[in-house]
Amino acid sequence: MRVICLNVSFYLLFLLCSLVVIPILAVYVTLVSLTGPRRRTLKHLRKAISWYGTMALLLPFPWVRVKAEDHRGDAGPDTAIYVFNHRSMSDPFLVVCLFWMDREIEGIQVVNIWPFRIPVLGLLARLAGYLSVREMETEDFFARSAEYLEDGVSVVYFPEGTRSGGREMGQFHGSAFRLALRTGKPIVPVCIVGNERIPPRGSLVLHPGTIRVRALPALMHDDYKDLTPFQLKNRVWQLMADETAKMDAELGGKWEVGSGR
Amino acid sequence: MADEEIVKLVNEVFEESFEIEPERLKPDAHVFNDLGLDSLDTVDLVVALQQKFGVKIRSDQRVRAIRTLDDIYGFIAAVREESRDS
Repeated sequence: MRVICLNVSFYLLFLLCSLVVIPILAVYVTLVSLTGPRRRTLKHLRKAISWYGTMALLLPFPWVRVKAEDHRGDAGPDTAIYVFNHRSMSDPFLVVCLFWMDREIEGIQVVNIWPFRIPVLGLLARLAGYLSVREMETEDFFARSAEYLEDGVSVVYFPEGTRSGGREMGQFHGSAFRLALRTGKPIVPVCIVGNERIPPRGSLVLHPGTIRVRALPALMHDDYKDLTPFQLKNRVWQLMADETAKMDAELGGKWEVGSGR
Repeated sequence: MADEEIVKLVNEVFEESFEIEPERLKPDAHVFNDLGLDSLDTVDLVVALQQKFGVKIRSDQRVRAIRTLDDIYGFIAAVREESRDS
């Protein structure tokens, strides 16, 4: 019963709110674009996307709760390469938790083609400058990413490249770490747990639960400059594997009531 | 160069450049699925193999067909044979 209530209310509200919010945000960004430089417009567009993402994450409350935990410490950088694990379709929305932790963070996501094909949202992602890694030449991709970082725009990766669908973390592709070695920018690992069934792989049905998003202390250039890309990739993978295991254990290792288990 | 020597030197490349434990370096180990390399890592692998064996293989189309360690052993053996014949 909870699952039905959650999904009916969420998808209805999501549709209604999107029909209202997206035009409002479009007008807002258009007005900004008329009064300032392109860079400022892009910043406001990315902020608008963060607001929209926040709305999406709050809609399923109280059945689904999201907790953002900033463990970056005092030296937490704003501009960085953020590396997330990838369990569920909800992960790209959970990136907005970075904005909750620090309003100064402005970022674009590296995506794997399909998000650009989502109606309306895909267009917004393109306009905001998200990068479709498979549709770009490697050197163009690195050059564009480096420009973003120089410009104060963080780059957000899901280096598994696809949803794991469970608690095991897949192997990482190396481009995030090669970018770090090229630019010397900090790497911030961010661990997401609790959303394996929000929704599960191959389904759009949300299940009640608590999602936790934890940003770990940054790896600064001095921490990793002597590593090869492969070593760095594996180092970060291990950090995140250990942390997600700890976080899963903190969640109690059990499914929420009503999950069907 | 004996096949065992090729195996030993190829495995050294994986141990030194990628810090992969020797026990994982089985002939049927898949370079991507088992050993965790991605397409960008294969560029580094090719450079390391060139340095280790003193051969030029970067533009060799047969590199694209490599999937397992066994494939690498066979490829290097073939390249060495061809350079001896020429």
